[in-house]
Amino acid sequence: MRNTMKVARWEIKRNLKNKSFIIGMFLTPIIFLAFLLLPDLFSSDEEAATTKVYVNEELGVYEQLEAAAANTEWRMEQTDVTEQETEAALGTEEDAAYVFIDEESVETGQVTVYTNEETSSAFMDEVQILGGPLQMLQIEQLGLTPEEAGIVAQGIVFEDAAVASDDEGLFSENMLKRVIPGAFAAVVMLSIVFTGMAIFQSASQEKKDKIAEIILSSLTPADLMQGKIIGYFVLGLVQVVVFIVIALPVLIWKIDFPVIEYLLVPELLVLLLIAILGYLLYAALFVGIGATMADMSTAGNFQGFVMMLPFSPFLFIGPVFSDPSGFFAQLGSYIPFTSPGVLILRLSLLEEWPWVEIIIAIAVLIVSVWIFMKLAGKVFQTGILMYGKNATPGEIWKWIRA
Amino acid sequence: METMLTVEGLGKSFKDKRIIGNISFEVKKGEIMALLGPNGAGKSTTIRNIMGIMYPDEGSITFHNSKGKGIPRNKIGYLPEERGLYKNVKVMDILLYLAELKDYPLDRAKQRALDYLKKFGLEGKDKVSVEELSKGMGQKVQFIAAIIHEPELLILDEPFSGLDPVSQELFKEEIRSLAANGTAILLSSHQMNLVEEMADRLFLIHRGTRVIYGPLSEVKKEYANFKCSINGTNSLELLESLPEVERVQQNGESAVLYLSKHIQPAVWLKNLPAELDIQELSIDRISLHEIFIDIATDKNLLKEGAELHA
Repeated sequence: MRNTMKVARWEIKRNLKNKSFIIGMFLTPIIFLAFLLLPDLFSSDEEAATTKVYVNEELGVYEQLEAAAANTEWRMEQTDVTEQETEAALGTEEDAAYVFIDEESVETGQVTVYTNEETSSAFMDEVQILGGPLQMLQIEQLGLTPEEAGIVAQGIVFEDAAVASDDEGLFSENMLKRVIPGAFAAVVMLSIVFTGMAIFQSASQEKKDKIAEIILSSLTPADLMQGKIIGYFVLGLVQVVVFIVIALPVLIWKIDFPVIEYLLVPELLVLLLIAILGYLLYAALFVGIGATMADMSTAGNFQGFVMMLPFSPFLFIGPVFSDPSGFFAQLGSYIPFTSPGVLILRLSLLEEWPWVEIIIAIAVLIVSVWIFMKLAGKVFQTGILMYGKNATPGEIWKWIRA
Repeated sequence: METMLTVEGLGKSFKDKRIIGNISFEVKKGEIMALLGPNGAGKSTTIRNIMGIMYPDEGSITFHNSKGKGIPRNKIGYLPEERGLYKNVKVMDILLYLAELKDYPLDRAKQRALDYLKKFGLEGKDKVSVEELSKGMGQKVQFIAAIIHEPELLILDEPFSGLDPVSQELFKEEIRSLAANGTAILLSSHQMNLVEEMADRLFLIHRGTRVIYGPLSEVKKEYANFKCSINGTNSLELLESLPEVERVQQNGESAVLYLSKHIQPAVWLKNLPAELDIQELSIDRISLHEIFIDIATDKNLLKEGAELHA
């Protein structure tokens, strides 16, 4: 164990002194924030560009129209420009529209609107709001009693009364309570898995630099392998801390939500346990496969396939979202490679946690971690000393059976 | 002299192929023991079995002077044949890491590292990244790494490969002085001239089995018969008819006569016939190099002797 810690310390120190690792560590949260915030910046740009709406009306309902459009981002103005002159007038304006309302509009129920190319694309939807006051005019002309007019003007509304939802949309408070710990666990797992991928490089580098035999004259292959796994685990946590320090203040400021309060719940422990087990499983894979490869650039199909396994939970994202307790969600929870991702996703979506399933899935995961660590140990032991060539699946199988 | 390492009846097979078999030798304190053999003879396999990097199928390896079972890794220095260093780290960092792995106190390791860097002409390179070193410098750093923790037993697998003559001399010097200070040294090589100068005893291995084992001086006495080189116009028949000549290698005017064991050079010279045309004549022992080539190329000139002693 002492030797394991020496290796772990060395891997941590070596990476923290490595410029590209440091840059990557700070770049990840920054890129994350950029993706989160950039679309926001663009959309707020669009909101700021208000449409100028010129109204030429002869019915004396301008005030009602203005009231109806109170919630829009328009700047409304009355105008005397005639329909013939609009083309010229629009040519000089940016994001503007001309609305012509006369007796005919009320009779036929059709209003002519002139827009130019810069007019916001959402405008034609928004402009329907002006229909209200005009409809009132129509109704008045039909000579209905005010009660009748009221009923007609109310129109018919389809009310959303879905059974399961008490009161919530996607980001209602209850939902966030579950999503925040889940998202955090996912960030933790992704960070350590991505950092863990460096294990793979580190193992194959050991061979490329031909230092493995020197190192192994001082400790056992098992020490070396465990040291690497622990070292990169800590590096992954360092990444998480950096991520939190950079991203969390921005998130709190942006979402305006008591994130911390929702984050520090007992459920988080279960989610983190799943994330850590997931890391150990993938770390075993990476370190084993890394030891079979002479060089990153010569990775065979087999190695490439194994490298893709941590991404296999993505296969289940669709089915799990559509039914978090469905067959595919359950299946994904029991397959070792998909279970960390699928479990974290499911537990973020489900209100009632299926504890029996969770316990079985975690048990499966623990057994798998143990088995894969053993296998990786065998592959690592032989592979790390095989210089100059990649191992074939056949050879790897032989080492495992040896 | 105190024995540090005993290897007895070591054997190892890969699949059905026997790589080494029945290898037995000892390494003693303060001596340089050479493990010799052509490429693929099984030298590195033997060493890897000693270091526990491979597990032997048969035989035993005993480290004297160490309590408990297992390999006393902290007391052994090892320079493997396939060697290198992490690329993107500083020279001092890697030396200290390797010393730490051997549980050697870091402050002493640091001082030793600086001393040796200076000794090997790498003063001021301790803060340089390994990837900036030339191949020769890298070799020196690897050598320092192998001895930084003052090992009692030092195992060097082809330490001279890829070194220029100046560095070879430096290494030779250092290995000798380590032995003089009591380190037991097991040295594998195929550079006979170097071994001939340094080794106290040698073990010659070919096709995984022992060919010769013993002190260098005795080996030379035993196997290195005299040979006589003559320049002059002589017929092959005449040369072959000379007394005590086992074999003749003739190439135009020059001929090499391999003489039988136990001849006395002075007596033999005195008995040369008068009709022999001698423009030049030299007489000396067959070198270790020739013995080695002889064995490696299966000429078996020494087979008789080898069998007697194997």
